[in-house]
Amino acid sequence: MKKTILDYALKVKLPVTVFVILMSFALTYFIAKPERDGVGYAPEQPIAFSHKLHAGDMAIDCQYCHTSVSKTRHASIPAASICMNCHKVARTDKPEIIKLTEYYNNNQPIPWKRIHRVPEYAYFNHAAHVTKGIDCANCHGDVRKMEVVSQVKSFTMGACLECHRNPHENMPQMTQAVNPGPTHCNACHR
Amino acid sequence: MTNSKPKFWKSLNQYNQKPESVEATHHEFVNGVTDEFDVNALPDKSRRKFLALLGASSALAATACSDYYDKGEIITYNKKPETITYGEANYYASTLNNGAGVLVKTREGRPIKIDGNPEHPIGKGKVSAGDQAVIMDLYDPSRLRYPIKKSDSKLVLYKDEMPRSDWEKVDTQIVGKLKEAANSGKEIAIVTHSILSPTQNKLLIDFAAKYPTAKVYSYELLNESEKISAWFDSYGSYDLPSTKWDSADIIVSFECDFLGTEGNVTEQIRQFSSRRDMDMPEKFNKLYQVEGNYSLTGAMADYRLRLTPELHYGFIMSLASEIVKKGKNAYLGSDLSVLSGYSLQQFADQNKLNKKFIDELAHDILAHSDKTLVVAGSSMPNSVHVAVNLLNEVLGSVNNVYDFSRANKTQRALSTNDELKSLVNKMKGGNVGVLIHFDSNPVFHLPSDLGYKDAYQKVPTIISLVESANESCQANQYIIPINHALESWNDFELRSGYYSLQQPVIAPIHDTRQKEAALLNWMSDNVTGYSHDLYHKYLMSNWEISVYPLSGSVADFRSFWFAALHDGVAVIKAGQTEKPAFNISALNSNPFKFAKQNYTLLLGAAYYIGDGRFANNGWLQEVPHPVTKSVWDNYAMMSPATAKELDVKFGEDKLNREADMVEVTVSGRSLKLPVLIQPGMADNFISVELGYGRTSIGDVGKDVGFDATALMSINGGITSRLYTGVSVKKAEGIHHLVTTQEHHSLDEEFVKDFHLKRHIINEYTVPFYLDFNKKYDEAKRRLKAEFAGDEVAFKKALKSEKIHLLGHHEYKNHSITPDRVYTDVKWGMAIDLNKCTACGTCVTACNVENNIPVVGKEEASKGREMHWMRIDTYFSGTPEDPVTSFQPMLCQHCDNAPCENVCPVVATTHSPDGLNQMTYNRCVGTRYCANNCPYKVRRYNFFDFRNDFADGYYRQDTLELMHNPEVTVRSRGVMEKCTFCTQRIQEARTSAAKDGRKIKGTDVKTACQEACPASAITFGDMNDPESPLSKLREHPLGYHVLETISVKPNVTYLSRLRNTVTEEKHGEH
Repeated sequence: MKKTILDYALKVKLPVTVFVILMSFALTYFIAKPERDGVGYAPEQPIAFSHKLHAGDMAIDCQYCHTSVSKTRHASIPAASICMNCHKVARTDKPEIIKLTEYYNNNQPIPWKRIHRVPEYAYFNHAAHVTKGIDCANCHGDVRKMEVVSQVKSFTMGACLECHRNPHENMPQMTQAVNPGPTHCNACHR
Repeated sequence: MTNSKPKFWKSLNQYNQKPESVEATHHEFVNGVTDEFDVNALPDKSRRKFLALLGASSALAATACSDYYDKGEIITYNKKPETITYGEANYYASTLNNGAGVLVKTREGRPIKIDGNPEHPIGKGKVSAGDQAVIMDLYDPSRLRYPIKKSDSKLVLYKDEMPRSDWEKVDTQIVGKLKEAANSGKEIAIVTHSILSPTQNKLLIDFAAKYPTAKVYSYELLNESEKISAWFDSYGSYDLPSTKWDSADIIVSFECDFLGTEGNVTEQIRQFSSRRDMDMPEKFNKLYQVEGNYSLTGAMADYRLRLTPELHYGFIMSLASEIVKKGKNAYLGSDLSVLSGYSLQQFADQNKLNKKFIDELAHDILAHSDKTLVVAGSSMPNSVHVAVNLLNEVLGSVNNVYDFSRANKTQRALSTNDELKSLVNKMKGGNVGVLIHFDSNPVFHLPSDLGYKDAYQKVPTIISLVESANESCQANQYIIPINHALESWNDFELRSGYYSLQQPVIAPIHDTRQKEAALLNWMSDNVTGYSHDLYHKYLMSNWEISVYPLSGSVADFRSFWFAALHDGVAVIKAGQTEKPAFNISALNSNPFKFAKQNYTLLLGAAYYIGDGRFANNGWLQEVPHPVTKSVWDNYAMMSPATAKELDVKFGEDKLNREADMVEVTVSGRSLKLPVLIQPGMADNFISVELGYGRTSIGDVGKDVGFDATALMSINGGITSRLYTGVSVKKAEGIHHLVTTQEHHSLDEEFVKDFHLKRHIINEYTVPFYLDFNKKYDEAKRRLKAEFAGDEVAFKKALKSEKIHLLGHHEYKNHSITPDRVYTDVKWGMAIDLNKCTACGTCVTACNVENNIPVVGKEEASKGREMHWMRIDTYFSGTPEDPVTSFQPMLCQHCDNAPCENVCPVVATTHSPDGLNQMTYNRCVGTRYCANNCPYKVRRYNFFDFRNDFADGYYRQDTLELMHNPEVTVRSRGVMEKCTFCTQRIQEARTSAAKDGRKIKGTDVKTACQEACPASAITFGDMNDPESPLSKLREHPLGYHVLETISVKPNVTYLSRLRNTVTEEKHGEH
């Protein structure tokens, strides 16, 4: 039987092309996954607030600013008035503080860029986690070392479930015993 | 036990076994409902398509150019109010404009839910469906946003073309006009609804002091003036005592829909249902309803008599004479010669009344004479109410059933017809300088033959203080936007001594003012110095002078005020008021003189939209009418026999929605209406609901239904709402009427074999149940001895004994899968059908809580209404005299849920606490689950109803604020259903975890349970043997709908007991 170009195309070229396409899809999928999940996102904020300075060097407790983290579902980004508790007197001559004072005096909210987000059909509850003694760093990374905050962990459903199923493996620093978190749909979706 | 099963039917079509109706029960939707859909018939350039394209292309452009990482911004407070915690609700006690005490739930400053204020002595934590839905009116996009002054009064106003003015300009001009009118001696007429607020009343008095020519006219379309004037004639007082419905053993109601539309319905339902406790069957009250219309109260009655209203007077007098004849007369006043012409026997024979009804009624009121409450409806004339008062006197029940210490307060009597006529004459004669519509709509409400519409256009200055433009605004020069009840200050005194406070829970959303504050501003010398707390200060100072001294409080005024504000109500000690003496001459001075001629017409009250002021509220338009299950319409309701006589048809087409038109004519005034044939109506009797047919209102309520005020006369028929000698004839044309009655019908054919075991509806009678209880207790003792110590065997034997005693057949469920074991909390619900009066409050509360969209009439006609909860109505007996049974139906959260097995993407699953979960983001919309649900409770988003309904109605700015942030807003292509308020369960779980305790079943209240005025719904943990829910699940009257198909539903229904004699049993066995 004579080999035709068609045979060659079908037996060699086509499988190779399909393989290459599939491989490139697979590679892109895995390599780009963290980026798709938002890991590494560190937007420029309207005020160059440094968590490293406040939470790290000065060791201010997270909850001084994120007041409702142990009370409700939202951690809450502080109102300008909370910043002004100190900055009415502290460092009022710095350019960033002047910006802050301007916002405050003009009665304008500060348009902070959002870094961490779960989709609106997922109802993550900060209070339920924090009151169990789970450290903020487990999801948000060590913010105390961040000059500019960026997302360090993936916020996908897989990431949530991973920890809910094996809490101790994922949070080895937890000293007290934690039960696995709920994994049924209604726990997060309603 | 005889094997005489009554057949249950949902509609006349089902009764007559119309093939399409039977076929429809086998499926989720009626076959052919979408046949008319033709994609080519859609306009290819609609506004919405254009907007969608625009949106899509700009979104595409935006994604191409922007950082795809971008997650937007978090906008925080600049200065956070201390009382607000993100994500936590705040509750404020307030009062709505009808005087209902409410607790308003706000999130981050936005009101999102209204429930009853538990501290309120009248509502006791419950409000009606209409009050629940008021939240939508606050965010209504058609609300006026700024003051309007139109120069050319000939133009018809369109919303977009309203000429904007500013407050300073209109204020200055208006004050000028008011001064001019006062100086030239021309009248300043203020037209208002009834005044329920003492401080508002004082304000109007003060206004008249400032402008001496001011005169106040108040009217109410649905008023009680006949009842009040009869009370005055009988007892010499305008203050009606409050009724103690729970003290009456026997209630005899004449055309009075006290469970539906008349009086303080939530309170009445609560008190009525409190005497329907199945654990105290001997304490059951008994309701006799005599009516021509078929009302919700009639549907709840133990005994019902169809009787045209012209005969009610004679019936009441005959009953009174029967009591006197039997020597039970408790009235010790002067002679009762007025009764001499009446005899019950003769009356019954003459009018061929149901003998059984008459005998039962006479027997019961004689046996319980001092605990019998007789009432008549507000559409009945003065003379009937006087006769009712006499009957109560003769029975000797007046002191037992009325509370004189807490009388219904009349702040200001409604204007008489003569006063209204004189107003019209003065307007015609040019003697009225300024006309103020004080949040009222007289052009729509007042009878057309009064001539108000023509006369008021002659008034040189008209000021309308309204929330959104209405019929009375059309020719106006000044349209002043006012605050919603949730943005206002006020006080209300519905009953003497119950002072209820209204406080704003949100700052005015638009540039509006409170109507009282606007008046105060026009009274002040500094017109441009308006501030929002004008009326707040006025209210406080009035309370300091008039309410605080009455309270006898030892605290200072500020503490008293803030305590009242916190509780929402200040209760002043009741004065002891003796029952005044009955004046029998009232009966002679005003005898009933109407005989039945031709047709009788009753202009009834709408169940949800009030007198039309809530017509723009989509939720209320779409709650099915509790009796007819119609939505988005009104119609001429008539009996099957009358329809036959008129040769009109209703719902006989394939899709059950074509209604013939009739022309109703009352002394020259006529109106064309569609026909709705309702089993149970009196013959030659037509009833039409008022409040529909608004022409100048927002997009939702515009041209919905027919304006029946066109048939009213200022001189009245029997009363302003009841006419005899009406002519009715068939008219040309067909109207589409949508009723949800046959939507989502359970498959009777499929379950017909189960009838041997249990019905969908199970009912017994009180005597039967009393007898059952005796036998059951005896069996319990006997079996306890027999199976001493063996608890399991004892329970099994007892259950089988119970089923036998109830007259059912035992059956065994076979399951092919092992039962799942629930170790922790397991949620369940119980609905007590003894208490449920089908008022629809639960449906509305569920809509508000769970962000359920309004779909509109067109989609509702296809069975696509989105309500997670519905109230099924079943009839039994004959179409002439049907017996009605109600059953709230919602997701049953079956243990073996048939929906879960068929979902190809595992979007619906079971949770460890027994919930059937629906995960929207996973759903791909195969609709297999809805197809497989035997209860037909799953709802599919055929459209994104938020875009689809009324051209993107929901997408308008303000309505977005209304949503409950704890519940996902579903979009097109997603299935949804009752979640047992899983967001509330999650909230309770979190707060229990925070406190370090385990969650209890009683920690959670579902929205429907919280709202139910009768407290018929119980929710809780069925794994806790001590919980109220477990007790109901074990109750002998408890049953599950379709329990024989072994899906193991978790909603228990408690069989209704009818308080009738055993021979007349309905649905038992």
